Parts: sequence; C-alpha cells; structure tokens
Amino acid sequence: MAEPLLEIRNLNTGFVTENGIVKALDGVSIRIDKGQVVCLVGESGSGKSVTSMNVMRLSDYDGGIVLEGEILFDGRDLLKLSQEEMRKIRGNRIAMIFQEPMNALNPVFTVGDQIAEALYLHKGISKEEAGKEAVKMLRMVGIPEPEIRAKQFPHELSGGMCQRVVIAMALICRPELVIADEPTTALDVTVQAQILDLLRNLKEEFNTSILLITHDMGVAAEMADRIAVMYAGTIVEEGTVEQMFTQPLHPYTVGLLNSIPGLEGARGTELYTIKGSIPSLANLPKGCRFHPRCPFATDRCRSEEPPLRDVGDGRRSACWYAEEVAEKAKTVMTTAGEGE
Amino acid sequence: MTEYLIRRILQSVLVLFLVSVISFALMHAAPGGPLMVLLPKSGTQAAILQQEKNMGLLDPLPIQYLHWLGQLLHGNLGYTYKNHVPVGQILWPTVGNSLILMGVSWILSLLIAIPWGIYNSTRAYGLSDNISAAIGYLGFAMPAFWFGILLQEMFSLNLNWFPLSDMHSMNKQGDIGDLIWHLVLPVTVLVLGFLASYLKYSRASMLEVLHMDFVRTARAKGASEKRVIYRHALRNALIPIITVLGLDLPILVSGAVITENVFNWPGMGRLFVEMAFAREYAVLMAISLVSTVFVVIGNLVADILYAVVDPRVQLGKKGGAAA
Repeated sequence: MAEPLLEIRNLNTGFVTENGIVKALDGVSIRIDKGQVVCLVGESGSGKSVTSMNVMRLSDYDGGIVLEGEILFDGRDLLKLSQEEMRKIRGNRIAMIFQEPMNALNPVFTVGDQIAEALYLHKGISKEEAGKEAVKMLRMVGIPEPEIRAKQFPHELSGGMCQRVVIAMALICRPELVIADEPTTALDVTVQAQILDLLRNLKEEFNTSILLITHDMGVAAEMADRIAVMYAGTIVEEGTVEQMFTQPLHPYTVGLLNSIPGLEGARGTELYTIKGSIPSLANLPKGCRFHPRCPFATDRCRSEEPPLRDVGDGRRSACWYAEEVAEKAKTVMTTAGEGE
Repeated sequence: MTEYLIRRILQSVLVLFLVSVISFALMHAAPGGPLMVLLPKSGTQAAILQQEKNMGLLDPLPIQYLHWLGQLLHGNLGYTYKNHVPVGQILWPTVGNSLILMGVSWILSLLIAIPWGIYNSTRAYGLSDNISAAIGYLGFAMPAFWFGILLQEMFSLNLNWFPLSDMHSMNKQGDIGDLIWHLVLPVTVLVLGFLASYLKYSRASMLEVLHMDFVRTARAKGASEKRVIYRHALRNALIPIITVLGLDLPILVSGAVITENVFNWPGMGRLFVEMAFAREYAVLMAISLVSTVFVVIGNLVADILYAVVDPRVQLGKKGGAAA
C-alpha cells in the first residue's frame, strides 16, 4: 500500500509571458501511492490544473517552465526527461481525462479511431487490432452497441457518452496513473454519478492510481482516499477523507466544507461563501496567503507565512493554529448560519 | 447527395438568369454604343440610326434581352459587331490563357502558403513568421499594376532576364519553355497578391486549432508533435481555408484584369477591358456568364469539400453547408 507511484516534491512552476515569468505553483508536494485515489481540491485559479499539466509535461507547450522541484514517477524524475521520452509515458503509463469531453475529442475522426490511436502508438500493434480493442474498451466503459458507436463521430454522441469515450481512450493502455481533471464538471448531475461510478469500477479492475482534480468537495468525498486542498498555488492541507470531513485543520478547508449546500438547512437562508477572492501569485499578501479571507487571522498570520507541517496522524496543514481550527470553526459555522 | 446536387444546380440556373439580366441592363445603361466605335467620325446621324436599326439596337431592351437569351439557349453566344466573328471564337482561347496564368499562380501560392503558414503557426512571432507578415503587408498594400511595372523595369528593361510582356515570343507558340519564361513576371505579381491573404489564413486557422482541447488530448495520448500537427490539427485547420479557396476559384478564369493588362497577357481579363471599350455587348455578356458559372462551381466545390473534410457537415441536410 505504502509504495509511492507519484511523488511531487516542492514543485515551483510558472509561465513565460511578455511581462516576465508568472508563477503558478509555489512549493507543491503531493504523494500518490499505488492503487490510491488522491483528490486535489480548490477553487478556480488555485493551480490544480497546472499541477496536472506539469506532471504530464504538457505545460511545456503553453510556455510553462519549472523553476524548482521534482516529479518522481516510479522513481524517475519526469522533469528530467525529454519530450521524446515523455511521449512514451504519456497515454501509456500516465493518461489523462479532461474536463470538456466534447472539446477533448477531435471532431474529424471517429471515436473508435481516437481510442485505438493510443494503443497503436504505444503497443506497436496493427490498426485493425487496435480498432478491435477500442470496441472492447467501449463496451467496458458501458457504451451500448460499441461496434456501431466506434464508427461514429464525437458530434453524434452525448456529453456523457463522450466522457466515456475519453475514459476509454485514457484506460486502453492500462496506465498506472490516471489524471482526471474535473471529469464530471461539464456533465449533468445524473451523468456525473454514473461517470464517477465508472471511474471507481475501472480503478478497482485495473488497480489504477487516480489523481482526481475537482472543485467539488462532494466528488472528493465520494472518490478519494486522500484529499489535498490547494490554495493560491500551494497545498494548504492534506489528509484522509475522514479526517478532512470530520475535523478540518485549515480554515480554508472549513470554508470549502461549509460551502457545500446541504438539504437540511432552511430554504431561503443564504448559502455560505468564503469572502473575497483568490489572490494571484504575483500579488500574494504578506504572511499567510489565506489571511485576508480567514475569519481567525491574527497578527502572526498577517506577518509570518505558515509552512505546511505535519500535524499528526499523517496529516499536514499550513496554518499556525491548525490544532485549534476545529474548535474555532464550530463557533464560526454557527454564527455564519445565523448571522448571514 | 444527388438530390442536393440537383437542387444546387437548379438554384444555379436561377442565379445565372438574374446575373444575365442585371449585366445586360447595366451594360446598356452605359453611355455610347458599338457604332460610336465602329463608324468613322464623319458618319452622319442618319447613317448611324439606320445602322443601329439594322443591328436591332433600337429595339426595346427586354426584346433585345429575349433575343439574346433565345440565341443562348440554342448554344449561340452571338457575334461581334466588328467583323461579325462568333463570340466563342474570341472568348474560349482567352479563358484558356487566363486559366494558365491564374492556375499556375494559384497552385504555386497554395504550395507556398499552406506549409509556410503551418510552420509559422508553430513558431508564432519567430523570424519566419515576421518575414511572412511583411510579405503579407506588401502584398496587400502594393497595387498589382505598380508591382508589375517595377518588375518589368527591373528584370526586363534593365537586366533583360525576362520578356516585357505577352504570352509567347514571335513564332514560338506551343513552346513550353518560352511560355514559362513569359509566365515568371506576371506570376510573381499574382503570387504576391495571393500569398498576402493565404499566408494569413493558413497561419491564423492553424494557430486557432493548435489551442483547441483536442490537440492537448492528442499530446496527452503520446502522439508525436508531427502527428499532432499533420494528423490532428491540419484537417481541422483546412475547414476555414477551403471557404476562402472556394470563393477565390472564380478569379481563375475571370482573370487578373490588371495584371493581364500590364503584361499584355491575352486572357479574359484583358479581353473584358478591350470589349468594354468597344461596347461589344455579346462578348461582355459571355464573359459575365462564364465568370458566374465559375462562381457557382467554386461555391459548390467548396461545399462538397467541406463535407469531405468535416464529418459534421452533411450536404442536403438542414444546418449543413448550404445554410
């Protein structure tokens, strides 16, 4: 169990723009063990997708640069590989599932061809054979009449179907790691649940590790073994699902949990929001990067930046008052519920 | 598909009819007439009138039009006023000549512009991209007649490398080498004009496609950069380029009026100018018809190519290319 498959260590990355380098990640460390599902949670702009693009080394194509850190995959540092070497890993040992399935598929090729391509590229088998495997894979991801569907184009399929196709494409080479970047965000709710079920079943079947990126704590609760919460380009808290949901140790996690709309509360009460917005890395506040939005911020938070530290039980939190957060949160949650 | 083609052809007939009516009306609305050119200046008013009457030029316009249309439906394009030559005999050779000049220029431009535009899209704002942008500005900004005259002065009068004008040297009709030698300068002028837009289109279209999600998917799959560009992106990038090419197809025959005149190329563009001055109505009508036919064919070819390249387009269905 405790055998690491992917280990991101102190990753600092950015993008080259006309106005110099814009930082995107600021010391991200994540570990994914074999067969584990790790969820990367955070609001838009926190750097979740950039992390996945860095692991895939796809950010190289968008002007991305790595300033510091390493990404160990099965013991090898991906950042030291050439694109040529990366190509043998991409789609083969690490595959990706994208957010907008309709746009992620090429409109001018049949879905069967697009699924088969990965197999054909990596396993050196004939196109015909790859095509047959693609049909099998389509059946596996729950697409009825896969022989017919394989010959269709993306525009002839629904959004949910397209996402199944994208999943089939990602899994056809039996990768050890699948990075799923908001795989259900563009789909409607009933389809979301089906896709999550599918991912979970396929994960069991192939013993794949998954790095699931989502802004939805509900999805994380459903899927994850561990959760890493990202804020403004760095990890602010990390722990198991149970730990996070029963006793969050960072005020940002508290805020995220409170932002899940419940069915219990009276209708008409205002939904909980974390006030303010996420800062850009070019413009980070002094001290803790979350302090302007934190209800418990003290002078120490305003001046000193808290490191991501071990807080026991294999958990990490980047808050000076991690041990007291749970206690404080109770009061805030009740007042927030009443006052606003 | 067949049904679609039949419908398009019927639509085309209507377009042709309307174009012919409008051309006919416009032509006759222009002042002067064929006799002012044909008859000696000393001709008396009475003589002119008599002649016009004999030629049917005094009939009401609709009657003249119907007469022309009737002849056309019998496959007869009419005769010139001067010397009474069949129009086809003058027209068809010039269509061929224009096709040679424009076809060579067009194909050459495409062979240069599409690969170069793709290359530039992958290295936007690099040296090659900037050079092509400069060519673009030059091509858009410099009038064809001016560039043509510059080339003539430089490469023909001063250096004497290429002929000043015409399509053949004396007594060298049918000599391919001689034809190519004559083609160089006018083709250069035309290629610059085409390149200006085609380079921009192919670069922009490719650049747009390269930022689409499915390109990222292809990379994530482990496809090589070559495969990403030439297999995944190119076919998508061709879709808008085809539109432009389809729209440009008609000028292959209607000819580059200006370039043909500067280089005295015996094509349809030059013929049109000559015949317009001579008020040779029958020839002008024939030219406008031939041009219209090519416009229609160009659009049809573009639509069919759409369906070939883009599976989302289904000809003859609602929301398809015809819309």
